[in-house]
Amino acid sequence: MLVEMKQITKTYGPLVANNKLDLSLNKGEILAVVGENGAGKSTLMKILYGLETCDSGEILIDGKPVRFRSPHDAIANGIGMVQQHFMLFPTFTAAENIVYGHEPKKELIFFDRKDAASQVQALCKQYGMYIQPDIKVADCPVGLQQRIEILKVLYQGVNIIIFDEPSAVLTPQEVSELLKTLKELKNAGKSIILITHKLSEVMEVADRIMVMRLGQLIKTMKKEDTNIEELSFLMVGHKLETREIQKIEQGDAVLQVEHLTLSGTGTKNILDDISIHVRHGEIVGIAGVSGNGQSELIQCLTGIKKFDSGKVIINNTDVSNRSVQENRDSGCACVPEDRYFWGTASDATLLENSIMAHYHKKHMMRYGVLNRKNIKKFTNDMLAEFDVRYTSDKQAGKELSGGNVQKLIVAREISQHSPFLVAAEPTRGIDIGAIDFIHGKLLDKRNSGDGILLVSSELSEIFALSDRIYVMYEGRIAGEFSRAEATRDKVGLIMMGGKLNG
Amino acid sequence: MDELKKKRLFDSAASPLIAILAALAVGAIVMLLTGTNPLYAYKEMFTKSFFKPYYLAETLVRSAPIMLSGVAAATVWRAGYINLGMQGQMCVGGLVAAVMAIYLPVHSLWGTALCILGGMAAATLIALIPTYLDYKFNASLIITTLMLNYAINHITNYFVAYPMRDTAGDGMAQQSVQIEQSLRFFRFSNKNAMNTSVFIAILVVILMYFVFTKTKFGYESKITGLNKNFANYGGIKSMKTMFQTMALSGALSGFAACIEIFGVRYRYVNSMFSSTGYAWTGLMAMLIAGYNPLLTLVYSIFLAGLNIGGTALQRTVGVPMQIADIIQCCITLFISVNFLYEFNKKRSGKCRKKVGKRWETGGVA
Repeated sequence: MLVEMKQITKTYGPLVANNKLDLSLNKGEILAVVGENGAGKSTLMKILYGLETCDSGEILIDGKPVRFRSPHDAIANGIGMVQQHFMLFPTFTAAENIVYGHEPKKELIFFDRKDAASQVQALCKQYGMYIQPDIKVADCPVGLQQRIEILKVLYQGVNIIIFDEPSAVLTPQEVSELLKTLKELKNAGKSIILITHKLSEVMEVADRIMVMRLGQLIKTMKKEDTNIEELSFLMVGHKLETREIQKIEQGDAVLQVEHLTLSGTGTKNILDDISIHVRHGEIVGIAGVSGNGQSELIQCLTGIKKFDSGKVIINNTDVSNRSVQENRDSGCACVPEDRYFWGTASDATLLENSIMAHYHKKHMMRYGVLNRKNIKKFTNDMLAEFDVRYTSDKQAGKELSGGNVQKLIVAREISQHSPFLVAAEPTRGIDIGAIDFIHGKLLDKRNSGDGILLVSSELSEIFALSDRIYVMYEGRIAGEFSRAEATRDKVGLIMMGGKLNG
Repeated sequence: MDELKKKRLFDSAASPLIAILAALAVGAIVMLLTGTNPLYAYKEMFTKSFFKPYYLAETLVRSAPIMLSGVAAATVWRAGYINLGMQGQMCVGGLVAAVMAIYLPVHSLWGTALCILGGMAAATLIALIPTYLDYKFNASLIITTLMLNYAINHITNYFVAYPMRDTAGDGMAQQSVQIEQSLRFFRFSNKNAMNTSVFIAILVVILMYFVFTKTKFGYESKITGLNKNFANYGGIKSMKTMFQTMALSGALSGFAACIEIFGVRYRYVNSMFSSTGYAWTGLMAMLIAGYNPLLTLVYSIFLAGLNIGGTALQRTVGVPMQIADIIQCCITLFISVNFLYEFNKKRSGKCRKKVGKRWETGGVA
């Protein structure tokens, strides 16, 4: 037994994040820790990595009890962590980032860049993960940045690596690369703890699986003894219904985009002659590998970015290149693709985060003065309806888990009751329970006759909800399918730039 | 959550308190080195700033322009922009108000109000120059507001050195003539400088607290300061916020200057706002207070007291008044260590955002 955590308990005020949890990790195995957002996985890992101290319980490494006061202690004991949000210096090279904190020295004081590069190369070779040591982190795609982060942890000479939601930010190709890397690390004798929501990944790489719910350990089992259905049942605590998409009458177009073009810095247009429409009572999916113009399209539609030519008509109002406010006034709401970059201010309270784009309304503001009572009522009602787990409406946004922040944003935008909604990556990186909930809300909105443009890099999400699917590739609409004719193979092929025959 | 509230209150009060105590300790060491009993000196210093009516009045009068310029700075800073030009805005506001009071046929209360409004308008216009430069040419607001201070100080000094100079008496001092009696703020007694302007300043600061926390403007500027992208996404125009906050900041700075002119000095004196450093003390108070106007008020009075007490110390104990400066500097230093840490944390977060990644240290806790 390499690591043992016994009876770990951690509370934050009235919230019991970890309730008498046991965890054990053997040498050379991959242990997956699964559970919904707020199940306490991250807290448990923070305790193991020394970022938090537990209220009671003990940690044993090789049978010896240890106490970590900071990540330094954890690293000294051979435990490293690859964070979900990378801690890299974007202007430094890969090698500089990897050796940061333990730089090889020349004459005891000077940083030896050459030695750093060669050490990094040796490290790459040892674990079969390749990077250019002198590439700037800012120039690396996310998958490569993660690889640098992993190498950084390996460079510190750890035996146990914790991965916190490593696939949440990756494209499908990058995910399969990552899973390969995990297996290679295991073969090299490292022990791995993998925190994730994605059960298919768990079933692919894990040796044992630990399921948590609401701070409790539900069950730990071997991969061979379980399956995805059982895992998701254990995680959520009840069975998830498979949704039937109800047939409803679809009305006129609520969004009409005509020949929208946005030029880039080079010769190629970022958005090239995009013409799409969304009707009342319809969810239209935009599938595509992220980075093919989806972000820019959303920004053009919502008025954040100005485009060169073309027309955007929302709810019969021409809002081409109008301000965000005019856009919203015409009946557009938006769940933005990045909940922290666009969707919330992490240091603002839940009240402040909840009333964005609502606070102009009569019952919340009069003569420029906000009506605190009505705002409080609005926020608390809304958060309760959307099952956001929070302790106080004065909490800072950053104190909520990612899934709850996402629910808050979806709640805020659906509460606009606007005829048209852009939902961009509405469930990125959140657990199945929350995904199911958000999907249900989106379908309810559609069934009430509103139009939704669903932009997602998650094909399963597109297929689960869409009435019609557009595929974006390199800034163009490369294909359009009705629900009936779309198959994963066809859509996948066009996403990768292929062509359908006939 | 009561507990949550308590913890926050404790956190927000703890670091300034520690900084103040540490600074007093440094001051004590300096005094020991120069052979003064620090306990005695501190007793003198605090008695002669807060605990005797005359000195308390002096302290409060001194604190008025400090708290106003502090709140002026906070208005802009909390929206994520940096205005360092309060001093120049005070110079212009003060000079214009003084010119109006001296050369226009205005009298009594309405006259004062008119002059103050004129001064505030002038200060607002001056504050909008760097704002426009930032908007139009992307010139850094920090640099332009800071540099304008020096230019404006010399320009305003020119007026009292030449065209407006009071030649009565020995004519040595570079200052304007006094404004007439009916325009001055009411003094309660002729024993000290206490006058109605102090209460007006306090009222304005409280009003600003209301503006910051309860109004649309306060909400929009706060959100802009916390996350410009989020503000933009929600329909708040960040450039509009910059203009609004800078204009308000200028107006408040101008008002701060008028309080000093119509309540204490009664004339415009050469370098009266640069040598006193009101703007910088105010900036410090608002930084310690974390942009909170009510706390800015408290810290402004405290810092003003240090100033007054330091002067008294020099007179009675013979300790140079620079000791007060040392303490004040140390407070700034200790606070800014904390402040810089926070600032860097935010900034590094932003840098990482540029490459599409966020960086967080804690998370849930």
